[in-house]
Amino acid sequence: MLRLERVTRRFGGIEAVKELDVEVPPGARLGLIGPNGSGKTTVLNLISGVVALDEGAIFWNGARIDGLPTHRFARLGVARTFQNLRLVPHMTVRENVWLAQHSLPGANALRRGTEAEIARRARVDELLAELGLEAWRDAPVAALPLPQQRRVELARALAREPALLLLDEPAGGMTPGETHAMRTLIARLVPPAVTLIVVEHKLDLVAELCPRVAVLDFGRKIAEGAPDDVLRDRKVMEIYFGRSFPSPAKSGGG
Amino acid sequence: MDDYLVSVLANIGMFSFIALSAYLLLLTGEISFGQQAFFAIGAYASGIATALWGLPFALALLIGAAAGGIAAGLVGLLTLRTRGLYFAMATLAFAELVRLGLQQWVYVRKIEGEPVGPNGVDGFRGIRYVFENNIAPAEFLLIIAGLLVFVLAAFAVAERGRLGSMLRLVGADPLLAESQGIDVKAVKVAAAAAAGAVAALGGCLFAHLNTFVEPRNFDIMLGVHSLAYGLIGGLGTAFGPILGVLIDVGLLESVRVFQGYRMIVFGGLVALLLVFMPRGILDETRLRWLAARLRRAPQHHAQA
Amino acid sequence: MIAFIQSLIDGITIGSAYALLALGFALIFGVLRRLNLAYGSSILIGAFAGAAVFAQLKSGGWAVAVATIVAAVAAGVYVERLCFWAVRRGAAIASMVSSFAVWMQLDELLALLFPGRTLAFPALVERSVFELGPFQLRTEYVVMFALAVALMAALEWMIRATRFGLAVRAVTEHPEAARAMGVPVARIAFWAFLLASAVGGAAGYLMASAEEQVTLHSGMALTFTGLIAMMIGGIGSLRGAVLGGLLLGVVETLAKAHLGAWHEFPVFGLLFLVLVLRPGGLLAQDFAARDAAALRRV
Repeated sequence: MLRLERVTRRFGGIEAVKELDVEVPPGARLGLIGPNGSGKTTVLNLISGVVALDEGAIFWNGARIDGLPTHRFARLGVARTFQNLRLVPHMTVRENVWLAQHSLPGANALRRGTEAEIARRARVDELLAELGLEAWRDAPVAALPLPQQRRVELARALAREPALLLLDEPAGGMTPGETHAMRTLIARLVPPAVTLIVVEHKLDLVAELCPRVAVLDFGRKIAEGAPDDVLRDRKVMEIYFGRSFPSPAKSGGG
Repeated sequence: MDDYLVSVLANIGMFSFIALSAYLLLLTGEISFGQQAFFAIGAYASGIATALWGLPFALALLIGAAAGGIAAGLVGLLTLRTRGLYFAMATLAFAELVRLGLQQWVYVRKIEGEPVGPNGVDGFRGIRYVFENNIAPAEFLLIIAGLLVFVLAAFAVAERGRLGSMLRLVGADPLLAESQGIDVKAVKVAAAAAAGAVAALGGCLFAHLNTFVEPRNFDIMLGVHSLAYGLIGGLGTAFGPILGVLIDVGLLESVRVFQGYRMIVFGGLVALLLVFMPRGILDETRLRWLAARLRRAPQHHAQA
Repeated sequence: MIAFIQSLIDGITIGSAYALLALGFALIFGVLRRLNLAYGSSILIGAFAGAAVFAQLKSGGWAVAVATIVAAVAAGVYVERLCFWAVRRGAAIASMVSSFAVWMQLDELLALLFPGRTLAFPALVERSVFELGPFQLRTEYVVMFALAVALMAALEWMIRATRFGLAVRAVTEHPEAARAMGVPVARIAFWAFLLASAVGGAAGYLMASAEEQVTLHSGMALTFTGLIAMMIGGIGSLRGAVLGGLLLGVVETLAKAHLGAWHEFPVFGLLFLVLVLRPGGLLAQDFAARDAAALRRV
């Protein structure tokens, strides 16, 4: 269970996130949407410990975790992908995904041949196969096209066997076809017990994946609920389509 | 083996230690101009151990390495918040402070009627362990080689396992490393301590082979050279810095033709090299390419 | 007390030359984000060229000053092309090591050309001392100070009031944005480097005339004086470089006057302390704010 209580974060004079209250029960899937600059990535940065909050608190399974060093967040079971892709370009796909396992229990810093290490590497190969990356396993990750690179990011996050998975624009830069494929992969590969938060621009991906959605605007949460309801909310329409948009007709939006 | 060759090989061996030391720090993303400080600490500590306290050489090596490692760990802790260029300068400042300190420090005792020990600016005379124990230079060379092989083996084990890629990740993308659960600060301090110990080992050998060391031996030039070795030889493997030392000490010492123009030629070559290979000869990319070629080669033979 | 203030005055005077060194160093670093370890040696080339001209002409004046600055700039161009322009973007350490290699080259070149190791250099003005209350001021130091200040003012004007200065500031603060806006970064870097070499040459000229000689192997001291002064004052800040230079001059002079054999400690001690406690230098930007900007790219 993840809980954010009146979380606030400022950059210079601007409040990137303002008094955010959010509760995500275990195994839940929450979509985080909003226009550019609404603070979505900052929220992920706060939840993954990359950035410290200025006010408020973050609780994970009852314990307060804000203020801990970043690597402790990861060890508590938080894994994430990055909007701008953080892959090590000259390393192969496999090597990039192996990075995720460095701090998992049983990881051996010095020996490759232990049972745990062999099992871990097999698990990575399984993941890569599920993600359709088998042929690229030993290719330098810089050689892959963007959609495949995003899958590597996803593989790396999944390889951490997280309890809380944060995806930052997992379909960024993809065509509708690629987005659909990504959505299917996420739905299939994220185990049900894992709590999932997805930040996305693409309303269709979020709406299909997440039974609940929260909308941010200038750092504040302005709506939360089922995608259909939220997307027909007046305030939400205003921020996405502008004030002059007429009253919503049932046009199959969402 | 002729004496000159032995001495050249010995120098290659000893400077490899400090080159490896700078390389280890470079892997974790830190530029250090100051590894000569730990080389010096190792030299003086081990010299005191054998010449003033009469301890056996093996113990002196341990003491020297430990002294270097602890000092380096402390500096690493102090400079945790200091990054990039600032870190480089902090290491330089520390190294100069050590050198200046050694210029002032006097710890001399009469051993068998002779004054022995660090004597400020005049240096540390009388590290006569090799003479007193009849160790010929060629034999000492074996000791140097043995220790170097040991250190290289340690690097090799680290590179094969997760430790190598963990270190390199910390250097390449510390934020990513943190988000994978790696305690970047702890890794950096540990790497700093290990690097200090390795440099100190080199210093121990240096002091005992030369029987005399002075603060002047451990100046900024030594520090910048050690950094350069890794850059020239390549940062993809621990053999890179060794290659760098080989090229500088080995090749140029022997090529007498360039007497007097040595630095002009060498400097020019290094500058040109770095234009085309900014991460050195044996850098990560080239090594991968080599590894891929080698993996494919047996198949070629099978098909032919 | 009098002695203290006297040392302070002397320190600020030599510090003004250090400030020039630091400015040149900071200009290069600000625009290129790379350390030029050959800085001191290229300045030394200038100083020796000036000394050679002095030896030929037997008189000082403009010829020597021009020779010094021109030769320093020529050496600077060589360094810039080989160690900085030619080296791939992003390979900052490679540039640094390359400049180290060229430092060795230039040092050896000087040793070959001038095996005598030390040459005479003309003084700026005739040695004399005048009194200002209880303090003694050496005329040549005052002239040196005045010239250094004039040069710093000119540099400040150039950075604040010209297009070139604006481009330099843009590239220093945000190279990517500057590039995106069409600023010819490589060309600006070249001219900034040239300017820095000229400023360094001027500093070298002033320091050599104060000493009335030039010595081989002082290249290292020149480079690291500039580097240390820049670090103390804060990277990226030209004003910081000036502050750092003056502070360094004062600390050095006071230390020499009062600490005898320990006189080199304060500089490095101060540097280490500053770097550990205020990792960005005295006038540097707040790291946290910079980090936030970097993190927003995440």
